[in-house]
Amino acid sequence: MYFACDLCIPSSYKSGEYPVFLFSMSMEDYDYLFKIVLIGNAGVGKTCLVRRFTQGLFPPGQGATIGVDFMIKTVEIKGQKVKLQIWDTAGQERFRSITQSYYRSANALILTYDITCEDSFRCLPEWLREIEQYANNQVVTILVGNKIDLAEKREVLRQRAEDFAESQSMLYLETSAKESDNVERLFLDLACELIQEAKQNKLDNNDTAPMPGEGKTISYLSCCNLN
Amino acid sequence: MADNGPVAAKRCDAGSLSSVSMETILALTELEDLERVYQQLCAEEKEVDSELERLVGQEGTIHTKMLALQRMGPNLQLIEGDASQLSGMITFTCSLAENVSRKVRQLDLAKTRLYNVIQRADDILDLKFCTDGVQTALRNEDYEQAAAHIHRYLSLDQSVIELSRQGEESSAVDASLLMLQDAEQKLKVIVAEKLDEAVAAVDLAQVERFFKIFPLLGLHQQGLDRFGQYLCSQLSSKAEENLLLASGGDLGEKRAPLVFADTLTLLLEGIARVVETHQPIVETYYGPGHLYTLITHLQQECDRQAQKIVDKFIQQRGYHNKFQVAQSNMMKSVPGEGIEPRELDPVLTEVTLMNARAELYLRFLRRRMLADFEVGDAQSVTQEHQQNTEKLLKHCLLSRTMQELIGYYIPMEEYYMRESVNKAVAMDTYEKGQLTSSMVDDCFYIVKKCISRALSSSSIDCLCAMINHANSVLESDFREVLYNKLRQGFPATTLQDIQRGVSSAVSLMQSSLQQGKFNTMGIESAEHAKAAFLVTLNNVEVCSENITTLKRNLENDCSKLFNQGAGSGEQAKIESCLSDLVDTSAKFKDLLQEGLTELNTTAIKPQVKPWISSFLSISHNIEEEEFNDYEANDPWVQQLIVNLEQLMAEFKTAQSPVIYDILTSLMTSLISIEMEKTVLKCSFSRLGGLQFDKELRSLVAYLTTVTTWTIRDKFARLTQMATILNLERVTEILDYWGPNSGPLTWRLTPAEVRQVLALRVDFRSEDIKRLRL
Ligand SMILES: Nc1nc2c(ncn2[C@@H]2O[C@H](COP(=O)(O)OP(=O)(O)OP(=O)(O)O)[C@@H](O)[C@H]2O)c(=O)[nH]1
Ligand SMILES: [Mg+2]
Repeated sequence: MYFACDLCIPSSYKSGEYPVFLFSMSMEDYDYLFKIVLIGNAGVGKTCLVRRFTQGLFPPGQGATIGVDFMIKTVEIKGQKVKLQIWDTAGQERFRSITQSYYRSANALILTYDITCEDSFRCLPEWLREIEQYANNQVVTILVGNKIDLAEKREVLRQRAEDFAESQSMLYLETSAKESDNVERLFLDLACELIQEAKQNKLDNNDTAPMPGEGKTISYLSCCNLN
Repeated sequence: MADNGPVAAKRCDAGSLSSVSMETILALTELEDLERVYQQLCAEEKEVDSELERLVGQEGTIHTKMLALQRMGPNLQLIEGDASQLSGMITFTCSLAENVSRKVRQLDLAKTRLYNVIQRADDILDLKFCTDGVQTALRNEDYEQAAAHIHRYLSLDQSVIELSRQGEESSAVDASLLMLQDAEQKLKVIVAEKLDEAVAAVDLAQVERFFKIFPLLGLHQQGLDRFGQYLCSQLSSKAEENLLLASGGDLGEKRAPLVFADTLTLLLEGIARVVETHQPIVETYYGPGHLYTLITHLQQECDRQAQKIVDKFIQQRGYHNKFQVAQSNMMKSVPGEGIEPRELDPVLTEVTLMNARAELYLRFLRRRMLADFEVGDAQSVTQEHQQNTEKLLKHCLLSRTMQELIGYYIPMEEYYMRESVNKAVAMDTYEKGQLTSSMVDDCFYIVKKCISRALSSSSIDCLCAMINHANSVLESDFREVLYNKLRQGFPATTLQDIQRGVSSAVSLMQSSLQQGKFNTMGIESAEHAKAAFLVTLNNVEVCSENITTLKRNLENDCSKLFNQGAGSGEQAKIESCLSDLVDTSAKFKDLLQEGLTELNTTAIKPQVKPWISSFLSISHNIEEEEFNDYEANDPWVQQLIVNLEQLMAEFKTAQSPVIYDILTSLMTSLISIEMEKTVLKCSFSRLGGLQFDKELRSLVAYLTTVTTWTIRDKFARLTQMATILNLERVTEILDYWGPNSGPLTWRLTPAEVRQVLALRVDFRSEDIKRLRL
């Protein structure tokens, strides 16, 4: 149906390691551009999920993220090039104010917890409050339970997480960055969903836009409703 | 005949020398055939003869060659003898060489053994020498010498020593060894004691003296530990002194607001200097790769002292308190209850300075450690060493503490920015003659200031966060303000109010009456609202440009940062955050466009429309006399031009050139559309058509002078309509239509052409219908 392709630029690259023209080329060469921000407690596996998706590997001894990391991957979905800007944020408390500044312009949020860690699940309402406060109201949020390869250590039952996600009208997916379970699907499903939204938005805008020069309704009313 | 037969046949079989066989000849009966064959045979005979002659001619040369060969025979025998002799010689030489090399190999082996023996003898001698030497040196308190002996002993081949003990001199060697081991232990204790004494006495010369001895005894780790402790205690007492001075408060006015940043700077510079001064000793006496160990020690002290400074900073500046006030104010946004943004200025500046210093310091340490590892590591710094370095720097308490400070800084700076922008909006003033009002300049001054401050922290994440917030403030808050101002609309003029009907006029009067200011206020506030709208349009336009400029300037500033060696990942991060500014700039452009459309709809259209439609009241179904009358007293177009001029004059002074230009473009479009509608409602005589043509020319000529856009194109349809209305006869259109159109491109459809033709009262509809277009 669709297949992932090309380019990813991990922030851990040393300078000069990727040619600049490649980057600038990718700037124009896409049909859609979406910003995806990963959030969730420290150590739940956000960085591993991103590295698995963008670089196809499970990094051994992955250290805690400092601030935010930035990666780009362009995927092709039904013949359309979709450029994903992925912001991998640090879960540690002291980086919270840096992380929060990225919510507003995010098209999608991947809220991650660790199925072997009850604590990371119990923090979810707190994360949802953050989203409520900082993200724009059109953001697509998906809940991800990571580390399903550690089935024997599971502390959060699938049903419980599904119920919770449903009550908050979020999508839900369980993944393993280690075994590469559902990781591709997570990002590609999200991209599909975002394309749908974008198309819907375009339609809505066209419906409400007044004819140019006619009537007193001004269409900039409709595009000002962020936050 | 019978004799010849078999012979000929035989010849034939053997060599087929002749192409004609005997039988064939015998079978011939015709004279003609016989003659032909005869001819053929004659020719063949000639050929054979010449071949024979050639072969006979060669006999001489063959003979000469044979002779030469016979002469060579003896020579060949000679060569064979020589060759076998040579082969014998080679075999002999070969075996000789083999013999020699075997002997050389044996010699070589002997030599190596000899060397080993000498080495062992030397070692044993050394052992003796060391044993004696170490005793003397210890007695003389010459610890360097003693350590040198022990070092010599320690670097002796242990297996050789073992072997020596099995030899004849075993007991002597054993005794030496025991003595040496004893001396080694003794020396280790003494050196440690002496170093501790020197440390206690704060005697740097002695400390360094004994520090150098440790690696000779194989005690690298211990030496570095003790030396590190010494340096740390030095740093600690100095740092405490500095902090006491800082919190004592008796400082010059000027540095007081930055005193904690200064104190931190002193600490970090002190450590950097320590690293710089002691790196050579460590390198020389401990070898490469050991600087890391020393720095690990120093960093622990740095962490302790930095934490103290930061704690004091937090306490004395009320840092957390300020943060909480700012934070809760932003959440609830209770105006007036928050902290004055101005009050945050010093602490925000101080904290960014602190972080910048820490980043600089950590970069310095990274450079030094990697350079030190590089000397020791084979090709490039090994991954393990690289990771150790990063781990030390990224996870040290100093880094974490700074990350925490920046974590609080960002919301405070955000608060500072939002509050200041709000203030700028609240105190917005407009001076006559300015195109924009004060809040645009003020707002961008604030945004620039905040981002520059974030940039000065040297933390890329901090900078990115502030770019995000700035973008949010501009795109949401500030744009909302301008948007709301535009939404109040451009008030229609009083004239229009009257035209709109009594009811609205009454309501206007009533509201004015209630305010007790009948006459003037209504008009004045309308004028005021008009000006406000026009200024806001300018504001929006300037904002869009300012954002583009802001982005460009930030790109320049950041490129400087990257020349200092931030990674390309970091660069991509900033680029992405900056590119959001482009979207925001575009949103301001959209807003401008919508505002202009609004202005066009409410201010230009209602005025221009009646001016145009007054064309209807001027008859264009006219005769010579009226035409001349119009010539003398222009009935319409001159007044229209005067009106338009007045209308646009207002915008020309009030608007930026860019906006004025867009506005005139909108107006000319409007005029051409309205004119077209109006003309189609009129009827024309031949002279009326001429009159219209004149009027249109005047109008186009005027409009060309007020705008930089080309308007011929916008008026192309009208001009073509005038051409049609000017025709003598219906069929004359064919001179301009289809293949005869020449350079003219018709903008009117055939149906429209018919429609315009029908406006002429003197054209018969049958003629028009009959036209083939
Ligand atoms: N078994 C297993 N371990 C995982 C998986 N994903 C991540 N981990 C481990 O979990 C730990 C934390 O992973 P990270 O990706 O660094 O977590 P993070 O969410 O990025 O953490 P912060 O950057 O501190 O917010 C690492 O030791 C990973 O090896 C997974 O799918 N299965
Ligand atoms: Mg991470």
